[in-house]
Amino acid sequence: MNDSRTLLADGLWHKNPALIQLIGICPLLAVTSTLVNGLALGLATIVVLVGTNLVVSLLRHALIPSVRILIFVMIISSLVTTIDILTNAFFYELHEVLGLFIPLIITNCAILAQAETIASRNKLGKSMISGLGSGLGFTIVLVLLGGMREIIGLGSLFSGIEMLLGDSALKLTINLPYEGALIAILPPGAFFGLAALIALRNLLVSKVKVKRI
Amino acid sequence: MVKNHIAKSFTGGIKLNANKNVSSSKTIAEQFIPSKLIIPMSHQFGPDAIPIVKVNQRIKKGELIGEPADKNALAVHASCSGQVTAIEQHQEPIVGEVSSSTCVIIQTNKDDDVSHQKKYWPRDTQTRLNLINQAGIVGLGGGSFPTAEKLNSKSLNCELLILNGAECEPFISCDDVLMREHATEVLRGGMAMMELVGASAILVCIEDDKPEALNAVYDAAGQLNSKLIQIVTLPTRYPAGGEKQLIEAVTGKEVPSGEYPINIGFICQNVGTAYALDRYIQLGEPQINRVVTVTGQGIKNPQNVLVPIGSPISELISFCGGYNDDVSHLILGGNMMGYSLHTDELPVTKATNCILAINKSQEEKSTQIWPCIRCGDCASVCPAKLLPQRIVKAYTNKNFNKLEELGLKDCIECGCCDVVCPSHIPLTASFKNAKYLTEEATTHSLLANEAEMRHNLKKIRLSKEQMKVDRLHAELKSNVRGDNRKSMINDAVNRSRKLRNKK
Amino acid sequence: MQFTITKAPYVKPITSIPIVMRHVLYALIPALAAYIWFFGFGICINILIACIAAVVSEAFMLYLRKQPITQGITDGSALVTAVLIAFSIPPLVPWWIPVIGTFSAIILAKHLYGGIGANVFNPAMVGYAILLLSFPVEMTHWAPPLAEELGYEVLGFWSTIIYALSSSLPIDTNIDAITQATPLDMIKSGIKNNSTITEIRMDPLFGKLGSFGWEWISIYTIFGGLYLLYKGIINWHIPVSVLTSMMIFSALFYAIDSDQYLSPGFHLLSGSTIIGAFFIATDPTSAATSNKGRLIYGFGIGSLAYAIRTWGGFPDGFAFAVLLMNSSVPLLDRYTRPRIYGKS
Repeated sequence: MNDSRTLLADGLWHKNPALIQLIGICPLLAVTSTLVNGLALGLATIVVLVGTNLVVSLLRHALIPSVRILIFVMIISSLVTTIDILTNAFFYELHEVLGLFIPLIITNCAILAQAETIASRNKLGKSMISGLGSGLGFTIVLVLLGGMREIIGLGSLFSGIEMLLGDSALKLTINLPYEGALIAILPPGAFFGLAALIALRNLLVSKVKVKRI
Repeated sequence: MVKNHIAKSFTGGIKLNANKNVSSSKTIAEQFIPSKLIIPMSHQFGPDAIPIVKVNQRIKKGELIGEPADKNALAVHASCSGQVTAIEQHQEPIVGEVSSSTCVIIQTNKDDDVSHQKKYWPRDTQTRLNLINQAGIVGLGGGSFPTAEKLNSKSLNCELLILNGAECEPFISCDDVLMREHATEVLRGGMAMMELVGASAILVCIEDDKPEALNAVYDAAGQLNSKLIQIVTLPTRYPAGGEKQLIEAVTGKEVPSGEYPINIGFICQNVGTAYALDRYIQLGEPQINRVVTVTGQGIKNPQNVLVPIGSPISELISFCGGYNDDVSHLILGGNMMGYSLHTDELPVTKATNCILAINKSQEEKSTQIWPCIRCGDCASVCPAKLLPQRIVKAYTNKNFNKLEELGLKDCIECGCCDVVCPSHIPLTASFKNAKYLTEEATTHSLLANEAEMRHNLKKIRLSKEQMKVDRLHAELKSNVRGDNRKSMINDAVNRSRKLRNKK
Repeated sequence: MQFTITKAPYVKPITSIPIVMRHVLYALIPALAAYIWFFGFGICINILIACIAAVVSEAFMLYLRKQPITQGITDGSALVTAVLIAFSIPPLVPWWIPVIGTFSAIILAKHLYGGIGANVFNPAMVGYAILLLSFPVEMTHWAPPLAEELGYEVLGFWSTIIYALSSSLPIDTNIDAITQATPLDMIKSGIKNNSTITEIRMDPLFGKLGSFGWEWISIYTIFGGLYLLYKGIINWHIPVSVLTSMMIFSALFYAIDSDQYLSPGFHLLSGSTIIGAFFIATDPTSAATSNKGRLIYGFGIGSLAYAIRTWGGFPDGFAFAVLLMNSSVPLLDRYTRPRIYGKS
């Protein structure tokens, strides 16, 4: 029990893939122009992570070490393809927006890293929990960064939520009374935003350490 | 006819307020005799001289009081007549700091008994060089390098002798006035040097802000009527008088890093040294005095004085009218490369070209230091073509490899970068300290290397001994086990049989 | 007698950072005068706002970084950044444009990299680039030069101040009536619509050589630049190489097709070429330090600025050219290190 809690905490905070390991930042920077985009990609990534860890963990004794990366990638890509087709079918508009980035989850090194370091060496339960923690941590950063950039860059929040939850969710979209600084949703804004989040986390960590002393 | 050249310039450097008229407007005061002398036995280079006088002994001017420690070392002479009162440790300024060394203290009298007389000037080069050492002649430019050693270079093929009369540093005018008043002697001394080193010509280099000295040297050269003397007018820019910069300006060649000018066929000598050599050849007078510029706003009556070596600075300053009230710094040397003294109870040495007393406002540096803004002004004035802004960064980071790579050793500590730095970073002081630290680090690592080598040698020796012992053991064993074994057993059996048979 | 001991050299330094910064500000006066003559006093409001923002943000960052605050503010470097930002934005903008520009310049570009002397990128250009990317609408609306003579509506003294403070205009005017795209902008969109340069230049916004108004401001800026050169605050290498490369490329393409490409004179005297060459590219901290490096650096800025103007997505690429070359400075410095005296 304790074990799974540490695994979750690792993924969410101590070894957060986006803020600490800085892996998988390519999709992180590319799609977080709005909160909804970030959330959608994050959910897809969680599914892929947990699924991959499940399969890899089950197959771990049958893996041939010299071609293991190849096998991981094939597992990941089959999962991603499934999700790509599913989103295309059920969330067509979202699929249009996220476009290339769902297939690109295949190359997200956060997933490969999980498969390599956790799933191929651990039992099923532990692998899945670790995958879930890591995916959640990644998603939270995606959502935070997307939210930040959307508020600053577009002056809105939850825009495009209807693509995820249907037209009834339209009233969730908040429009703030200004037009926003475009740079936040342009590529530089992604770097500034991620840097700000990392700095914020470091600040919190240093504050906590000081308190403990 | 004497040829005149106008030199091109060297890289970097700056124009400074010369402040030379303060002291150069008067003729050299030659009647200064202090009440006591503190004559150091130490030299900037080479072993200390051994005092050969006793307390209470009466001595004459020019008498030998310190014998050279070996045959290439320098002698020390009394610079005034008087009586020895003590032989003791006394502070003296030496290479940028004040340190203690053995000094002969002499109570002077006004008799001015002269012991030296004109000697025979031999033909043989080696004998001449020995005589120069015995006369205690060293370079008067500030480095105090033994002149004989510098001139002992016939094998290295010297093409040109450069007489350095540039005197680029502000305030100092001792070479200027010396050339004005004693141009003939200077040139004669220079020709004697040229003969010694086998050079084919002398270049006398003088900055163009000293027209009187230039004229005097022209006239003297005309009188001597030698085709070998050429005069070069240098543009007035600090540090034109630096040996390497002078060579670059005059010949367009650079002295390779870490080498001496003689390696590319030049020898530089200060005009004061040439004058001292001439005095020795003509009058037999050893190097017992030198012209010192006493100047600055802190001095009542600034002037150039012919000072006996060993005179206390305090008496020299009283001779020049004493201090003004607001004096704050006493500097030995010029305001660019000199160093400040905490007291004036120190002797004038052969390296003392200038005593500069300044007041607070003249020296005052801004207390504010800003970070470097990378303007690169320091690099553009650096005569050694270094990047001071990078060196100071490497110094702050204590990165010794980087310091070496950036050429810290080639820094001539001229101080140009400090003057132009808009951030007021103490660059030169940092570089001096960095050099000191680098040296310390190298000695440290050298010592460590030595210890490691000793340790390795010991290990090798031990293992050799061990191998010897092992071999002996192996021999013994093989003796026991090998072919000898059967014979040994047979011998033993035979011995026992013999014993039995006897019974 | 006891004397003070200090280290050589015993000479007062000939200059200091506040003096340098003050001279840079003096050198901008002729350009400012011309600017006010052509565009009204909107720039004065911008300068004032930017300066206040610069001092506030500088003090705040120095406080956070635990650095001496008075020394940091009085060195004047923040003010130079602020004034340069005010010069590069349109004269008629809401107050938060110069404020955001200055904040991003001082906080992001200057202090996050370690304050004065440590910034990799030119702070004023970072501020300008962030503004241009964030608020393209506000940043491309310029009041036309000598608006009254050209027949445009002109804002009065109070209306200008009210617009700057509250971004609201008098009821009977709207922003499109009092502002215009810049000539460089018009060229860009004109060429896209297949007009020739000659056709586009029929507009009264174009002058004899460059764009009307801007050409005179540029000429007055040159006086300031020459003053800096005379004072020894900048070296000739960067301005000369920037202008030369700009001239070479524009002359080359102008010779090929004068209907598609602008004349060298136009390029030199419009947009921020002159102020960029003399005041922005010469920022010592973010420029190359050796003379050879400076020449390459300037050449890079000139050619990149020309390329962005002519084929890029922005009408004036000077800021981006400067920022791109800033990032190549460590490399330039590495390969253009001067040979040490006596070393081969």
